[in-house]
Amino acid sequence: MKKFNLRLYRHIMKAKGQFVAVSMVVAVGIMSYVAISLAVMDLEVGAQKYYELNNFQDLSVELMKINESGIERIRRMPRVESVQGRVFFKTPLEVEDKDEKVNVGISSIPEAENRINDLYILKGGWIQDGRRDVLVLEQFAEARGIEVGDVVHPQIGGKEYELDVKGIVGSPEHIYLMEDEQNLLPQPSKYGIFYVSEEFAQQAFGYSKSYNEVLIKLKNPEEDGIFKDELEKELERYGVQRIIRREDHMSDRIVAEEIRGAKQMANVIPMVFLGVAAAIIAIMISRMVKNDRTSIGVLKAIGYRNRDILMHYAKHAFIIGAIGSLIGVFVGYLLSGPMANLYQEFYRIPFKVRIFSWNYLGMGFLLSAIYCIGAGLWGARSILGIMPAESMRPEPPKKIGKTYIQKITFIWKHISFSWKVVWRNVFRSRKRFVFLSVGIAVTFATALMPAHMLNVFEAMFYDQYGEFMRMDYEIAYTKPLSEQSVMEIRELVDVKGIEGKIEFPFEIENGWKSKVVSVIGLKPDTEFYNLAGSDGGILSLSPDGMLISEPMAYILDIEKGDIVNVKNFIPFKDDVRIKVDGVVKQSLGLNAYMDIDFMQGKLLDEGMITGVMIDSTDRVKEKMEDVKNVSSVNSLEDLKNIFKEFTKLTYAGLSVYALFAGIIGFAIVYNSTMMSINERRLEFSSLRIMGFSKKEINRIVLKENLIMTGFGILLGIPLGRWLMELLQTSFQTEFYTMTAPIEKNSYIYAAGLTVFYVLLAQYFSSHKIKRLDFIEALKNRIT
Amino acid sequence: MAGKKILMKAEKISKYYRMGEVEVRALEDASFEIYDGEFVVILGPSGSGKSTLLNIIGGMDVPSGGNVFFRNDEITLYDDNKLTMYRRNRVGFVFQFYNLMANLTARENVELASEICEDPLEVDMVMGEVNLDDRMDHFPSQMSGGEQQRVAIARAVAKNPDILLCDEPTGALDFKTGLSILSLLDKVNKKHGKTVMIITHNAAIADMADRVIKMRSGRIISDKYNEQPIPPERIVW
Repeated sequence: MKKFNLRLYRHIMKAKGQFVAVSMVVAVGIMSYVAISLAVMDLEVGAQKYYELNNFQDLSVELMKINESGIERIRRMPRVESVQGRVFFKTPLEVEDKDEKVNVGISSIPEAENRINDLYILKGGWIQDGRRDVLVLEQFAEARGIEVGDVVHPQIGGKEYELDVKGIVGSPEHIYLMEDEQNLLPQPSKYGIFYVSEEFAQQAFGYSKSYNEVLIKLKNPEEDGIFKDELEKELERYGVQRIIRREDHMSDRIVAEEIRGAKQMANVIPMVFLGVAAAIIAIMISRMVKNDRTSIGVLKAIGYRNRDILMHYAKHAFIIGAIGSLIGVFVGYLLSGPMANLYQEFYRIPFKVRIFSWNYLGMGFLLSAIYCIGAGLWGARSILGIMPAESMRPEPPKKIGKTYIQKITFIWKHISFSWKVVWRNVFRSRKRFVFLSVGIAVTFATALMPAHMLNVFEAMFYDQYGEFMRMDYEIAYTKPLSEQSVMEIRELVDVKGIEGKIEFPFEIENGWKSKVVSVIGLKPDTEFYNLAGSDGGILSLSPDGMLISEPMAYILDIEKGDIVNVKNFIPFKDDVRIKVDGVVKQSLGLNAYMDIDFMQGKLLDEGMITGVMIDSTDRVKEKMEDVKNVSSVNSLEDLKNIFKEFTKLTYAGLSVYALFAGIIGFAIVYNSTMMSINERRLEFSSLRIMGFSKKEINRIVLKENLIMTGFGILLGIPLGRWLMELLQTSFQTEFYTMTAPIEKNSYIYAAGLTVFYVLLAQYFSSHKIKRLDFIEALKNRIT
Repeated sequence: MAGKKILMKAEKISKYYRMGEVEVRALEDASFEIYDGEFVVILGPSGSGKSTLLNIIGGMDVPSGGNVFFRNDEITLYDDNKLTMYRRNRVGFVFQFYNLMANLTARENVELASEICEDPLEVDMVMGEVNLDDRMDHFPSQMSGGEQQRVAIARAVAKNPDILLCDEPTGALDFKTGLSILSLLDKVNKKHGKTVMIITHNAAIADMADRVIKMRSGRIISDKYNEQPIPPERIVW
């Protein structure tokens, strides 16, 4: 090994603690990048492959009824590649626990070849006996322990059927299974899909030779927008309720959102970590160059070129980056496997797709090399200005005046000597002060994230299911019923309050933006919804307007006073233009609210409701068990419980961020402290000679760090708030908005965690003071 | 000096610094010649400009005016890269405070210099010449000042330079160790035929030189040959 490189190697080995700390920061950044990027790529490619293999739809249409000739009309449309009708209805499933309401979507599946949304057989086989065989979607089968050979009992039109489970299947349509948009979290044990023969479905639901849904594949999938308009006209007579493009398909949209979010994370996390590592490296190298001034002069005198010396220090930075990225790429690659598996299990892709991409690994190396070498060269740039002759002379002492605090004589007179040392050093090493404070601020802001996000989720769900929605139970009907049904339920259940409601999907258009949303019709004086604006003021349901939720206002860019078009697919009902009276403070869901009478008159039929809301302490579920036309009975308590399960999972995810904050904080404080101790050997040695113990010197360093931590945390508060706002904006999706303020507890938690990391770094750096040979430090002239 | 080739020639070199409002004239109109194989001592009190002179002829600093020639090349016209190559292959430096790399052993310190040169000497041989055979694997912190200075001399010699420039080589050493370092430099000059230039404020050292250039306030005040140089062992201060 060249002696110049040997010097570098020994340099690194001497400060290996610092080296490891910075390498870890690089490693975590690159690991996150590689692991997330590879796993997301697997998910994306896996989903794409699944869609291609199983012929996933480009569009689907929900309509009242369409016969074979209607299907044929669609097939003849020039843009259509293939078309398939199906019968799809949600019905209750008989289960052992009578208290439990479980629904299944019964979907017909044709015998024909080249089926759209073809199924992937995981266990068992295909339907043999069209009259009693059923294929069950794997998520549901798994959650309820349904196996091939079991018998299931769906209730169709009040009649219980006995069906034999012939196979467990996956479907490209249900990579992510949710009953509807209103349920934000999947409940695989409460809702599943049964696939039956066309013959059975048509017979059971009374759809002889006809369907209520159409699946379409286009020759050019990118034309789905134009085609949608053409299709609307073509199918006018069939009572189209909804046309769903691929981008609006719930399962695909959720996967796409996940991919988009994860890609964003894969880009942001490494930038933060590499940015922090670059800052540490730049400062570390610049301090090293400053301390090595004489050595650099000697090297130049011996005949080493500027670029040799510059590269010598840049190599130091490069090795940090190389080791960090090697570990990062390796661990990231290892982690990407389980991560991809998790993804592919959570989003049910039946086959494992593992794609090895050198691009991400190469990019990982390249990113860290650019950041680290750049930082190293930046830190070492002063080498160019060192003249060999000049560097042999000792540097003239710095011109030092009184620090700010010394000028406040009243305070200065009353503080002890050791505190004077502390305060003087805090104010004198301004660069260190700024570096450490900013580093602590970043740590604090990162630590704030998990605490705040948890609060946000809690606030979001508790607001939704406590503040915003105030009923005890929501009962949904299998089909629209007359308002008389409210009276029937009132007779069955002991209620404190009861109201009928309509919940029906409509497409809302605002300019070129449009979305299918659930429009909810309520009594203007409803007790069950707290329709309040963002300022907390109550908004009333006017007889000719509508209120919309915050996520909907965000997605469709609607403001109070705008007039939107409500597309009506119901036969003989026209589209209606309605004024938006206000935006309701609601974190979850895309919804519009209307006066129930106005909604019935304008959009549906007079006196028709789709469900009821009740306040009751009665055994509602039990009493509703055998009631006809009831599809589901949900208590708000159930929804809260689902959320509690969800938060448990979220805790694990968020704790990773707390760990990330720790790595950043530790690396910054540890490196800065080690550099400071190294540079202040003479000062500490003098203090030792004056009679200070090692403990007392350690205490001085600790006090300095804690003061800077205090400043860092103060700086971290606005930084954290800005970061959280940024996060809330980027997390704003069509499913929810996050607007919760940062709680006091989150600040306390983040501050506590930050101080803990600082103390940890202090503990690890204290050995440097313990080992300080003060006599050697005082007499040493060798470089 | 009849029969001897000129190794270095300085023509009216001067060096000015600016310190705030004041212009410091560190060196003014210094002219002299150094011949191959000479042992030259530049003598002067501190602040007389001798270190500045050494730095300029060693290619570590550039003059404000005047010309410096190495053999027939004018080094004052060299760019940074050429100056580096000049320092690398033509000049060996010995500093007052040794300036060794703390994390390299004695041998590695010597190799650090020799491995970048065009025509280096055998490191083991050089280490033997400076009597450090048994201390080769010691780090500077494990050696005495005299030993460290020997390593510094070995580092300079191993490059096989044309001239050895020594800045107060005994300044940090006790009398006895100082003498041993002077003996070593004398040996390098006599046995290996290397030109040696020592700058010092210690007048006693001048007695061993072939030529003594005296400086005061940035000017050369005398440049005389020493007819009867004495061996370093007889020097007393």
